Amino acid sequence: MARTRRAETPTARARGAEPDAFAVRLDAGAALRAVAGFALTLGVWFAFSAPYEGTLAAAAQVLVRTFESPAVTTLESTPGEIHVERSDFPADSGRPGLPAADTHFNFVLLGALFALAPHPLRPENFKRFWIAAVLLWVVHVVALVFEIESLYATRLGPWSAEHYGAAARNFWAAGFHFYQILGRFAAPFALWWGVGRPAAPTAARAGKGAGKG
Amino acid sequence: MKAIPEAKSSNRRSALFLARFVVLLVAFYLIVASHPVNDAVIVPFTAAVARVSAVVLNVFGEKVQVHGTELRSERFAVEIENGCNGVETALLFGAAVLAFPAPWRRRLLGLLLGFLAIQLINLVRVVTLFWVGAHRPALFGPSHTVLWQSIVVLCGVLLFLLWASREARARSAAKEVADGSNAPR
Repeated sequence: MARTRRAETPTARARGAEPDAFAVRLDAGAALRAVAGFALTLGVWFAFSAPYEGTLAAAAQVLVRTFESPAVTTLESTPGEIHVERSDFPADSGRPGLPAADTHFNFVLLGALFALAPHPLRPENFKRFWIAAVLLWVVHVVALVFEIESLYATRLGPWSAEHYGAAARNFWAAGFHFYQILGRFAAPFALWWGVGRPAAPTAARAGKGAGKG
Repeated sequence: MKAIPEAKSSNRRSALFLARFVVLLVAFYLIVASHPVNDAVIVPFTAAVARVSAVVLNVFGEKVQVHGTELRSERFAVEIENGCNGVETALLFGAAVLAFPAPWRRRLLGLLLGFLAIQLINLVRVVTLFWVGAHRPALFGPSHTVLWQSIVVLCGVLLFLLWASREARARSAAKEVADGSNAPR
């Protein structure tokens, strides 16, 4: 404990010590805030999953159709699932449904990480949280596009083989698999690290603030 | 005058950490997703997770049998798949620890202790989920997909932050000692 305090003394900062990019702090208070943030974000996630999935389906549909010729894909979200409809599917064939929660439940993790901040409800922290949340939404849309393309490339039998070459099949399937295995867990952490952690004090700011604790 | 280059340098090192983290994740993914590694390491490891989980569940009177990676009782059966064996969280933790600037000995110790802690948390997850599936089946879906996956990954991230904060403290202290011994008297 004593060593921690010494490392953060105003004297040390005022000397113009270089800001530490890796100044990570985790204490019991931060862990408790993370648990509270987790519970709170889980509640928000349950309450707003359905409309959120609607925005993902709409954005992913635009992206998929942009690269389709003719544009035939329509995505419809029902609570918990996103249904893939193609106007060239035979009328009597089944429509694939994609489990939506698997794609975006990592939002809960993002909320928990932002709650680690010493003052999580400060406007500055909220601003960073919303920037990260928008970036995570983009990640979700891209992941959904990969999931749909992976479905087209590998799960529609002869139709897949006819329309997707080996390289395309591997690209879409591996991209989606990477998201499923590691990407969906890594994304909130990377966004929090890049956007969410409070900025390290610069020498000038630290010097100004020296003595205020 | 000095602050801007220092802040830039700090941001650059933070970005470098992220870049190393992502590169390591992709490398780990390529290794564990390959068939030989999956068949020779991941599947036997998952079967071991199933066996240990069965031992714990039987201690609590669930009368569970193990078939490969499947846990089965009279009330419920579940297959432990990739994503449920704690390996993903361990890889995430490993990539972060290896990307973080620290002496190799401390990194290796962190990897070992972190892996054990993550597996312990995952064991609690598998046992709890099996119990929920057997006794509260309606809650199994959300517990499996959202709750426990997030909890295990959050624990992995918190373990990394705990290790990293100790590491950062040690570095700050060492730096201050060095600065102190170089300071003019």
